[in-house]
Amino acid sequence: MKIDRRSFLSFLIGGAAGTTLSPLPWKLMDDSAIWTQMWPWTPVPEDGESSYVNSVCTLCSGGCGITIRKIDDRAVKIEGMKGYPVNDGGVCLLGLSGLQLLYSPTRVKGPLKRVGKRGQGKWEKISWNDAISEVAKTLSDLRSKGQSHTVGIISGSDRGTVPRLFDRFLTAFGSPNLMLTPSIQDSYELTLHLMQGVQALPGFDFENTDFILSFGSGFIDGWGSPVRMFRAHSNWRSTGAKVIQIEPRLSHTAAKADKWIPINPGTEAALAMGLAHVIIKESLYDTNFVDNFSEGFYDWKRLVLGKYGPDSVATITGIDSTTIIALARGFARASKPLAICGRGQGTTPGSLHECMVVHALNALVGSINSNGGVFAVNGTEYVNWPEVEMDGIAAAGMQNERLDEAGSKKYPHSRYLLNRFPAAVNSEEKYPLQALFVAGANPLYSMPDSNAVKKAFAKIPLVVSFSSYLDETAQNADLILPNHSYLERYEDIPLPAGLLKPVIGLSRPVVEPQFNTRHVGDVIILLAKALGGNLSDAFAWDSYNACLKETLGDKWQTMVEEGFWSDPYFNTKDLETSFDTISGKFEFANQDNGFLPQFTPVKIQGDEKSYPLVLIPYDSIRLANGFIGDPPFVIKTVEDTVLKGKDVFVELNPKTARAYGLREGQRAMLSTPKGKANVKIHLFDGIMPGIVALPRGLGHTAYDDYLAGKGINFNELIGPVEDPDSGFDAAWGIRVKLAKA
Amino acid sequence: MSTLDDNAKAIEDNAEGEEVAISSPEINIKEQDNGAGGPVILFFIVGLFASLIVGWIIFPKLLYSKKRQPIDFNHRLHIAEVEDECESCHFFREDGTYSGVPKLEQCVECHEEVQGNSPDEIKFVEEYVSQDREVPWLVSSKQPDNVFFSHVAHVKVAEMECVTCHGLIGESESLKVYEYNRITGYSRDIWGKSIGGFKKNTWDRMKMDDCAECHEKETAGIERTDVKTPLGRLFDNLIAISFPGMEMPSNKGDSVQTERDACFVCHK
Amino acid sequence: MKQKKAKKYGMVIDLDKCTGCGACMVACMAENNVPFRKDETKKLLSITWMRVYKLTNGKPFPKIDECYLPRPCMHCEGQHEGHSPCVTVCPAIATDYSSETGIVSQIYTRCFGCRYCMASCPYHARYFNWWDPVWPDGMEKYLSPNVSPRMRGVVEKCSFCFHRYQLAKEKAYMEGRRELKEDEYQTACTQACPAAAITFGDLNNPKHAVNKMKKNPNAFRLLERLETNPKVYYLSSREWVRRAGDNYLESEDKLKKTGYHG
Repeated sequence: MKIDRRSFLSFLIGGAAGTTLSPLPWKLMDDSAIWTQMWPWTPVPEDGESSYVNSVCTLCSGGCGITIRKIDDRAVKIEGMKGYPVNDGGVCLLGLSGLQLLYSPTRVKGPLKRVGKRGQGKWEKISWNDAISEVAKTLSDLRSKGQSHTVGIISGSDRGTVPRLFDRFLTAFGSPNLMLTPSIQDSYELTLHLMQGVQALPGFDFENTDFILSFGSGFIDGWGSPVRMFRAHSNWRSTGAKVIQIEPRLSHTAAKADKWIPINPGTEAALAMGLAHVIIKESLYDTNFVDNFSEGFYDWKRLVLGKYGPDSVATITGIDSTTIIALARGFARASKPLAICGRGQGTTPGSLHECMVVHALNALVGSINSNGGVFAVNGTEYVNWPEVEMDGIAAAGMQNERLDEAGSKKYPHSRYLLNRFPAAVNSEEKYPLQALFVAGANPLYSMPDSNAVKKAFAKIPLVVSFSSYLDETAQNADLILPNHSYLERYEDIPLPAGLLKPVIGLSRPVVEPQFNTRHVGDVIILLAKALGGNLSDAFAWDSYNACLKETLGDKWQTMVEEGFWSDPYFNTKDLETSFDTISGKFEFANQDNGFLPQFTPVKIQGDEKSYPLVLIPYDSIRLANGFIGDPPFVIKTVEDTVLKGKDVFVELNPKTARAYGLREGQRAMLSTPKGKANVKIHLFDGIMPGIVALPRGLGHTAYDDYLAGKGINFNELIGPVEDPDSGFDAAWGIRVKLAKA
Repeated sequence: MSTLDDNAKAIEDNAEGEEVAISSPEINIKEQDNGAGGPVILFFIVGLFASLIVGWIIFPKLLYSKKRQPIDFNHRLHIAEVEDECESCHFFREDGTYSGVPKLEQCVECHEEVQGNSPDEIKFVEEYVSQDREVPWLVSSKQPDNVFFSHVAHVKVAEMECVTCHGLIGESESLKVYEYNRITGYSRDIWGKSIGGFKKNTWDRMKMDDCAECHEKETAGIERTDVKTPLGRLFDNLIAISFPGMEMPSNKGDSVQTERDACFVCHK
Repeated sequence: MKQKKAKKYGMVIDLDKCTGCGACMVACMAENNVPFRKDETKKLLSITWMRVYKLTNGKPFPKIDECYLPRPCMHCEGQHEGHSPCVTVCPAIATDYSSETGIVSQIYTRCFGCRYCMASCPYHARYFNWWDPVWPDGMEKYLSPNVSPRMRGVVEKCSFCFHRYQLAKEKAYMEGRRELKEDEYQTACTQACPAAAITFGDLNNPKHAVNKMKKNPNAFRLLERLETNPKVYYLSSREWVRRAGDNYLESEDKLKKTGYHG
């Protein structure tokens, strides 16, 4: 039998026939189709049991209640907690993207010790025991040399058990240098102290007010407790409350206001005085409050009526006098008017006078401790620990003046002046700082005059960061002792910003710690125990969790069940007993030092000739500019008129742009006395001519490619301007020049 | 034409010991014809059978790979011990989701320590329970990620029996070998044991067409009077023209395109 | 089997309350496993099922005004059921209109990425996966198992969180009923909105809030005159916003309401 072509062909045909009659080709087609849908790099999330864990968000001072959906032991979605006093179910975009922080590749996975130069990014893993021993040794040495006061802590908050542990540690150690990240809360705290004699923070009754006069406060851009403000604002739509926004730029807040009044930046206090002028002149003020519950009104009235007539205020502010008069009348005639201040998100304390003038306005119309008004809230007395027993070294150390001179003769009433700290270190006039701990803050990014801050840090021999993420400060530290992320730890979250009632939220672990991190509270306790002596005595707790439970006492059970505790007996409406001043009343003019609130213009840096324009920052809720940087979801929402590729846009009025020959999208060189930046131009009719606006929150150099290298850090272009009365940073901008690049 | 006798004579003539086959052209052609036909058909048949064997027998052997379950679990034994049959371990949660294959904490309720004397149980307790390690069960009914299957809709609402889709697992005393497709990674039970996709019982296959078999009968025939699909509208118009005044027939289906269930009822 | 009146899931978004914060955008991305890339500034390529647009009245300083408008998929019904611009053109039947719920669904495994639907959609609500999604090491843990992550080459869009509909139905079945209560099925954006500007529900059900809200005289829909019959209504007390909703020219007179409401 010969096998020839025909046979072979018939064999093949038979094979083909058989193949088609078999399932092989059809099954293979089906399988291939399925195979093409299964790329191994497209993840298939595992299913499992769905459960919810309640907690409190700590990504800003808003303190919203959140509930986190879990699938088995993975957290998959953050949602707002319905019924929580601050936010009742709503949550902002930063809170929503918290899981991108929890599971971020920028998480510091364990204690790290620097190898090589600072900022090089070379680290070696170190055990917790070794890390704590090393720090304890350095601190112990400083103590024995009588230099305990050269240790400082920068903290993002000063309320709650964790900051109080810092405070306790430094007191027992012998250093006065606990520093707080500045904000408008500083000004408000000092204002309440000087005008009402209390140690408290402001609580605003936004839910009941019917006229909101905002001096640049971006309550739709992240001021106060953002979600609470959004809800209040939505409520105003139904109640018909009026909102007047006074600022040089059309922010989201101004766009949503009933009326946007553009004002020359930095002159807000002058306007407030002008409004007071009209209100007093036309006798529109609350005589009951002014006559029966205030002191020093006569002196203040003289000042107001003497200098701040509508025409002179019109010249200063750029707002015509008819508007000023109408505004004053509208404000005073409302039944529950409320004035607020704090530019943008309230990142800078601003001028003390400005805050006091706005508070005086509230007093004038009877909005102090009344429905729809402003209250003094203090909800932190629950941290009641036994007094620290100082040893000789501690006592001697505490005798030293603070490095930032807060509380000194110069600034007797201010408590924290972090803005003065870089100059104090750089000038070497006082004592040097030899060890610095940073927790819940990112000073190398968020403090103005970045160059000065970097120089100051370079002079400090030991910098320890407790950051959970590799942020700018952590990158330049010597040791990173990573804290659990906020979703992995217990912590008390007292006093959500601006809330009327004292509320303590309970942040609790949603997932097991993902990495080899430790609660900063635990680390402080261990450090104190390692140092022994009176320090160890002052920190007798076994762990932070034990300390927290003990401190909260019978509130703990409620907090575990509800997620928060709220004082049922809180009532600050009693005007007779609300003021703790010398006079026992609200003081328009401080009876102790004769302080009279007025417009004290803050001179921004730069001369008009070399720097013809004015640069102001603006805040967006989509650009986190504090101790946390934008997670990928949030930076994704930033508009392409703000950021394009790696370039940031500055906003410029079309008239000004024309005068400088600048077009939309054009590259320009921005120079201030503090720094230079290459930017692009965006023409925007929502900004006053002559003003250039740059957003805060960009220009990171740390974290990862999703955030780093995009835009410019505003803080590199501006420096602090010291308020002469408080020492706070009152810079609202800086002079700038713009040229085609 | 020479006759056979002539041929025989021709052979005899040459018979000096040698037998030589005399080939005459006609005979040769005939012989060649017969020889050429045979191999062609034969090869065809050979090819046919070879490919059929490859397609039906060898192909499945190559396509599917075998794996053993980590622990050989005896369903029959456990069913005897519990009260609610399948639902004792494969239960619905409060929110209506299905727990699927039980987790370790379910087993630990009884198996904190070794209960019987099977070597597999000892292995289970030593390697998994005492080390708090989940057993990596190989799930033969695992569907692709784009499938959304609601157990509660089928068990509680449609009141189907577990065996309808999963077969008589409850009566088995050991877990069968897990066979999976080398190309797709899915269990053989999805396409079905038969490589040709033939099924005898409802639980032999779990492809989308098998779901559709039931759905076409049970759920897709929703009649609605308030919603018109394009096809329905066309018919309405035709009927309205041809038989004015006649009652309109109702339309079927949720999906506008397929007139069956909407896609997202089963897909996500 | 006779069926009750079909549901029509829709939204009413109050533009007077919307603050432009973008929480709805992030809630949607977090809920639906939406991918993200290092540079998201090219907005035509940036996948945001829900996107907040900024409208402006076009006037110069200081008369300028801005309005923030969140835009999910409109789940257009078209002139008669299921005649959405996108459903009509899909060659793969990857997108489908459900008559019972009014939801336009996208089935990723059928889509082969021709992007005809993207061309067809007048609201730019559809997005294409030009690249495979990349979740940085560890972040894939937060992915939800209720939504299929997409691979490159497929189109995706807002689904009115129909996976939540599926889960809500499961819960209802478990409790022995078939109908869902208003608060049992809410989209992620509605739930997250801190200003409570978004309301979601059954437009056909008189007990649901959206049913009343859509009748508000200030209610309008985007591109009304294209007759896509969208399910997302907007409320605005500002006339320029209502006019901008359908690109009314200065010269055009009053806002027209189309005859068909569905």
